[in-house]
Amino acid sequence: MSTETETFNWKEWVFTTDHKRIGVLYLIGSMAAFAVAGVMALLIRIEQSTLGPTIIEDGTTYNEWLYFHGAAMILAFLIPGLTGFAANYFLPLMIGAKDVAFPRINAFSIWLFYAAIVLALVSIVIPDSPDIMWTGYPPYSITTNANTAFYVFTVHLLGFSSILGAVNFLVTVIYMRAPGMGWNQLNIFVWTTVAAFAIQLVFIPVLAAAVTMLLFDKYLGTHFFDPAEGGDVLLYQNLFWFYSHPAVYVIFLPAVGILFEVVASMAKNRVFNYKACVYGGILGIVIITGEVWVHHLYVAGMPDWLRIGQMVTTLLISVPVGLIVLSLWGTLYKASITYNVAMLYAAACFFLVLVGGLTGIPLALTVVTVHLSETSFVHAHFHFIMALFAAFAMFSGIYYWFPKMTGRSADGKLAVFSFWSNVIGVNVTFWPLFIIGVEGMPRRYWDYEMFPHFEPYHQVATAGAFLIAIGMAGTMINWIIAARSGEKVGENPWKSKSLEWTHCPSPPGPGNFPEDVVVSEDWTPYDYNK
Amino acid sequence: MTTDSSSGVHEHHWETSWSPFAVVIGIFFLVVLTFSAHYVYENTLLTIVCAGIGTPFLLAGIAKWVHEGLTEKPLISGVAGVGLPIFIISEVFIFLALFVTYWVMRLSAPEWPPEGTPHINTALPIIMTIILVSSSWTAHVAEEKAEANDLAGFRTWIWYTIILGTLFFGCTAYEYNHLLSEGFGPSTNAFSTIFYTITGFHASHVLIGLGAFFAVLIPAYKGMTNHTLTTCVSVYWHFVDVVWFFVLSQIYFW
Repeated sequence: MSTETETFNWKEWVFTTDHKRIGVLYLIGSMAAFAVAGVMALLIRIEQSTLGPTIIEDGTTYNEWLYFHGAAMILAFLIPGLTGFAANYFLPLMIGAKDVAFPRINAFSIWLFYAAIVLALVSIVIPDSPDIMWTGYPPYSITTNANTAFYVFTVHLLGFSSILGAVNFLVTVIYMRAPGMGWNQLNIFVWTTVAAFAIQLVFIPVLAAAVTMLLFDKYLGTHFFDPAEGGDVLLYQNLFWFYSHPAVYVIFLPAVGILFEVVASMAKNRVFNYKACVYGGILGIVIITGEVWVHHLYVAGMPDWLRIGQMVTTLLISVPVGLIVLSLWGTLYKASITYNVAMLYAAACFFLVLVGGLTGIPLALTVVTVHLSETSFVHAHFHFIMALFAAFAMFSGIYYWFPKMTGRSADGKLAVFSFWSNVIGVNVTFWPLFIIGVEGMPRRYWDYEMFPHFEPYHQVATAGAFLIAIGMAGTMINWIIAARSGEKVGENPWKSKSLEWTHCPSPPGPGNFPEDVVVSEDWTPYDYNK
Repeated sequence: MTTDSSSGVHEHHWETSWSPFAVVIGIFFLVVLTFSAHYVYENTLLTIVCAGIGTPFLLAGIAKWVHEGLTEKPLISGVAGVGLPIFIISEVFIFLALFVTYWVMRLSAPEWPPEGTPHINTALPIIMTIILVSSSWTAHVAEEKAEANDLAGFRTWIWYTIILGTLFFGCTAYEYNHLLSEGFGPSTNAFSTIFYTITGFHASHVLIGLGAFFAVLIPAYKGMTNHTLTTCVSVYWHFVDVVWFFVLSQIYFW
């Protein structure tokens, strides 16, 4: 059945309950958020390119950019891009299901997400645009004249959307796997998505409660975070990071899951140490993730004994992460690797995760982090591990699954050119920030007149940001062109063994599979070594 | 796929439903924009307009959604009975966050209850407990009637549950009214902050539960019930009941 002969029917998109179309809607929405938040990043870099005011006259506008850049990149691009787009489109295909367990709830989730995007975009143009970072720390978020309510509701809408997504996907994986598919036969991406949703289910409500208290404090006059009246200002930071640190793994896990799919297909190799990766690595992260958040408060105030405990748990979580990364590297062992664009992005991720992961270790050590806290070293660290790694993994996935979604390949000269522009750009941008961070450059300052000797480093970083901008624009243009006129490549161009490639057409129609899928006991999605 | 479409029964087409879209529009206007219009921009006309747009969308969306749930055959049936408990895990954590906040504030306070707290009547919450536990029981009986295909009995016992739930909600309203008249409002002190937040959040769950009972009651007059849906509403109501015991012991009797 060819979808190309169908005429475009807007109702079949707006009112759709099909997981693939919802996935595409997530992709469009998250890429729109990415584009706007990316422009903010560029403005931030331009402002930093010279000492003193460059393109704005005061810090408030800068704070508004930081707010939107952070909130949109994390909450509206990375999380919905990975657990919304990738999980929606490919998880049901990977387990041989016709759709998710609750298709209408899935449609509900996507429009909650769009409501949040609309609210976030509206909050840029209103006169009292939020200026409270993505963290919304009190007391500033309560005393500011800006509209904290829109921040709170953006979090509420996205959180509700994700919680319902979690319910939906957990039930889907438990009950809708193809007959014969056991737990040890699932794609790693399925496992990582399940883990990410399990984390979302438990931790988002705590963030929702925290921002609700913020809302009440600001608009109803309650005293949750007001020490003068018996409230506790650090309570917010604790509740906030209780979700927002695990959120890092909500992003990391599906991202690394995508890399496993790409790497196994391009290396034509089994996943190295599958069980250690799943039960030690992925589930290990789920178990430890709730005991790590306090390291975000190292300098905000806590007893010394707690610092030591938090150092231990923070370092401990690198063990399951290490198991996962080890499996990822091991999957390349003795393989003949196909270096297409998806694999190029995956290879870049091997480097990004190394830089981002290793720079996290000094930040976990209390003696070092007291010095590094709130410097651009932290800023560069989490951009490597969270922003760049996850975004590159998502791009890798988009190139990998592009033929599945469109029937066409997106690989080409523009794809390769924009890849190199991106990968060089991110390194040019963030390495200088590591260097000046160690020397004391503070994060979040719109002006740094007290540190004039850092100006050249900022200029290099800004130049890198323009390289990224060129790369990202090239990538987007490439996808749009390829979706319309890319080379047709058939149903399984990568010769993958995973169900989404072997059992359904490209792109899949309603109901996904022409025939019901049944798998045998010795089937695995990585069955390359027989 | 050609074999399917020739039979006509399994013809493949893109599934659609406008109900989720309508519910989102409803929530966006009725909750997000109405709150912002009233508390942030303090504009009464805008508040009324936003609530006026949101309410019909929300109600129509829910009605359509329930109707589809009762009439259409799902891809896989009965799993909502698992989905709802998973959702409740998330509810547990939101209540836990509120209680932890309460414990932190209370245990770090030099005196408790803080200055400005009037005497809070503990007889009323006992009565409310009896009402809510009874309603959990009537909800359970209604569920059994539905399983025995006794539709008239089902409707009757759902009505009992709704009446008891409304009574409970009325008690909360009475209590709030009384305390507010004594000058104990949300902004009075640390205890009032947590008191109104936790009891109010619980009461909002009672309201959602009542809405859910109406959502199963109204179709039941047309002879439509669904075992899974009834179970879900009932389980949710039991959960609201269990949470009440934590509210009772922590807020009123500690």
